[in-house]
Amino acid sequence: MPVNVALGHVSNDFMIAALLLYSLAVLAFAGDFAFGRPGRTSAVASAPARTLATVGAAGGALPDDPGGPSQASVATGAGAGDKMPELQVPVLRAIMAAGPWVRAAMALSTAAVLSHAIAVTTRGLAVHRAPWGNMYEFVTALTCFAAIFFLGVMVRYRAWALGVFVMGSVVVILGLAETLIYTTAGQLVPALQSYWLSIHVTAMTVSTGVFFVSAVLGVVYLMVDRYNRRVAAGKAVAGNGIVERLPSIDQLDRLAYRTIVFGFPIWTFGVIAGAIWADEAWGRYWGWDPVETFAFITWVVYAAFLHARATAGWRGRRAHYVQLLGFATLAFNILVVQVFITGLHSYAGVSG
Amino acid sequence: MTELRTPATDQDAFSQEEPVSPAGPDFGLLDWLRWGWRQLTSMRIALILLFLLALGSVPGSLLPQEGTSPAGVLQYYKSHPTLAPLLNHIGMFNVFGSPWFAAIYLLLFASLVGCVVPRTFKLAGSARTLPPRAPRNVSRLPHAASYSVGLPPDVALDVATRVLGEHRFRMRRDEDWISAEKGYLREAGNLLFHLALLGILVSIALGGLFGYKADRLLVQGTSFADTASALDEIYPGRLVTDADLAPFTITLNKFDASYITSGPQLGQPASFNAYVSYTTSPGSPERSDDISVNHPLSIDGAKIYLIGHGYAPVFKVTDASGKVVYDQATPFLAGATGNELSEGVVKVPDAEPSQLGFSGVFVPTAVEPDGILESIFPAPNNPAVSLIAYDGNLGMNSGTAQSVYQLSTAGLKQLASKPELLLPGQTWKLPGNNGSITFTGYQQWVSLTITHDPGQLPALVCGIAALAGLLLSFMVRRRRVFVRAVSGNQGGSVVQFGGLARTDASGGFEAEFAELANELRSAQRQAVPTQQALQPREDVGD
Repeated sequence: MPVNVALGHVSNDFMIAALLLYSLAVLAFAGDFAFGRPGRTSAVASAPARTLATVGAAGGALPDDPGGPSQASVATGAGAGDKMPELQVPVLRAIMAAGPWVRAAMALSTAAVLSHAIAVTTRGLAVHRAPWGNMYEFVTALTCFAAIFFLGVMVRYRAWALGVFVMGSVVVILGLAETLIYTTAGQLVPALQSYWLSIHVTAMTVSTGVFFVSAVLGVVYLMVDRYNRRVAAGKAVAGNGIVERLPSIDQLDRLAYRTIVFGFPIWTFGVIAGAIWADEAWGRYWGWDPVETFAFITWVVYAAFLHARATAGWRGRRAHYVQLLGFATLAFNILVVQVFITGLHSYAGVSG
Repeated sequence: MTELRTPATDQDAFSQEEPVSPAGPDFGLLDWLRWGWRQLTSMRIALILLFLLALGSVPGSLLPQEGTSPAGVLQYYKSHPTLAPLLNHIGMFNVFGSPWFAAIYLLLFASLVGCVVPRTFKLAGSARTLPPRAPRNVSRLPHAASYSVGLPPDVALDVATRVLGEHRFRMRRDEDWISAEKGYLREAGNLLFHLALLGILVSIALGGLFGYKADRLLVQGTSFADTASALDEIYPGRLVTDADLAPFTITLNKFDASYITSGPQLGQPASFNAYVSYTTSPGSPERSDDISVNHPLSIDGAKIYLIGHGYAPVFKVTDASGKVVYDQATPFLAGATGNELSEGVVKVPDAEPSQLGFSGVFVPTAVEPDGILESIFPAPNNPAVSLIAYDGNLGMNSGTAQSVYQLSTAGLKQLASKPELLLPGQTWKLPGNNGSITFTGYQQWVSLTITHDPGQLPALVCGIAALAGLLLSFMVRRRRVFVRAVSGNQGGSVVQFGGLARTDASGGFEAEFAELANELRSAQRQAVPTQQALQPREDVGD
């Protein structure tokens, strides 16, 4: 089927709109740091452990016991005195209460993600296939998944303070993709004409988006960790305005860990689906093609992160170095191996 | 309040014991072996081996490998003449078959076995033994709740037993407490994941022993039988004999390639189809099929893949005496310039008085700007060949094997100073009365890969099992809850409810605990015979 050129242009327009909206959202998130009410921290920062939105729902509403002093008597792990007030507030009210900058940032982020999703979807409709058939499409789609996933994380954990970091990274990556590797909507070579494209590449794209978020969280973790150690060593003054607003180091650790726990099975599934496709297309399920090999390396490094977290002496900072190394291998695979090293996965379409 | 992360509760995969260091004169061979085994199966060593596995794979991706890119290896030898032999010496061009890489993964798997097997026994054991006793002070657990209820302690515990039983906790009941545990599937999933990885390794070995891979170039209109002699290349597994090859015969009736004819993707392939007819064994009925990329043909456990394609110009050569000494399609290989500009050679050893050789270029859609022959489109819209003719000795009897795609020009003399361009049907009368060559037309050829891998299905099953195990180990949490009930005021009791998740990778125990606590309390209050719940005493747990 021929490419729908008009729809391709619609996709491009939405992509540019998304980029613009993301940039404004990042400005608003930064504005909250600069001008927002001090002392107000996100719920994930004030509630110490395992703060989930569902806790608020479950702990807050006890319909079967209208007369009893239920909320006071069933206090759960967050500690008796700490009722996680912000998590018990519905998310919209929490956003409204968080101040004008956060309101603006969340509205802009939502609009940006919507526009981004429309751009990716219309691109797919224009070319009649999954819209991740070349490097440009892959990057725009993975940032879209990362942004959707992170929007969910922000809403669930009320973690507005992380928005500037994650959405900022999305802006940079998406901007680079638009300027450096833009590729017009087109058909695919026969090797990619398979429903396995929808399965294998979707899994790889989604998990890359999720790992992208965890990598940004890892960097924030290392920043906070460095600051904390400098404070402990007397080299920095406690009470840094930015660090104060961020989730605590333990929460960052948990958040990054859970993000990876979410992404790792998807990556594993993507590699298995890729092996099945390779068997259909190339006559072997595993052949140590350069890109396969690097996908394997990434898998091994993230597996090492999961093991490191359970090894004495490797928790915390070292484990996060490991996960950042994992993301580095992933980025290297996309940016270097797929582009410059000849192999069966040479579909990037960057030079041509 | 922090998540429980003591080594004993948060261990994820490997045993956490710190190996005892060798010490003292009594440290004998057995102690050394035990110490070595403990080291190997420790998480720290497993972690190091994982890093080594990742690191060792890097050259396998960045350097050309014998298995995936033999031409790349040759090229590397040319461009790095001093470095290449050194790299070759340490197996850098065959990383995944090298002894040091095998050492890493075998040690890793030994470490895995050393860890997984004891844990399997431990899991089996804990499934048979009762949960541990309830701690004295339940309210000090990470999750705790406390309330009063108008039931005597034993009745309150009966109700709790029922509620926890409905939630399928394994329970242990004592006079004034219940200890309950759930989520053994987490550990089972974790073990399944690691065992499935072992299974994948075994599957790969199975394929290496009993599988084979073969290549065959097939020109349109010709056929071949799947025997070792008829194949161009065969890479048999260690325990494969010629008799293991599936006895099929394939004929290539037609090959179709279509290309994008406009826009920025001009010349990019749109589809490839090889229309074949085949018999599964001699004498069986003939069937036909369309092999395309992503759609291999399966015959008797062997799969036939369309891997490449190209043009085979047909030449007719007569020698000086006028005898036809060559008349066949000659496969040419596409070069790096794109648009299927292909190169090849024609060797005519039977020509008299001296042998003839031609090196040529086939151009599917020829243009000649500035006198340089170029191809502007991969489909045969304006095919042409350009030939350089030689006579002399082709060197085919020297005993060394020759490539059919290369001409050894050592014993040859070029007949004309410049190449001759021929269109289909045109004949070139060779200078010096050496006969003639006619470019009669062209055929297409396909390259097929035939594979048989008995490890394929086991590998798939193990891969799915690994994923299932991974999901179980991430989504299920192993958790314990404890209920203590002591007599309170007015014949009622004070119930303490506490819980902890040993591992909670994806989070959510807190919500589950809160719901369970609510359910437990309302069940107990509903069980109060007077229908009049006593005013609960505020006693909030830590």
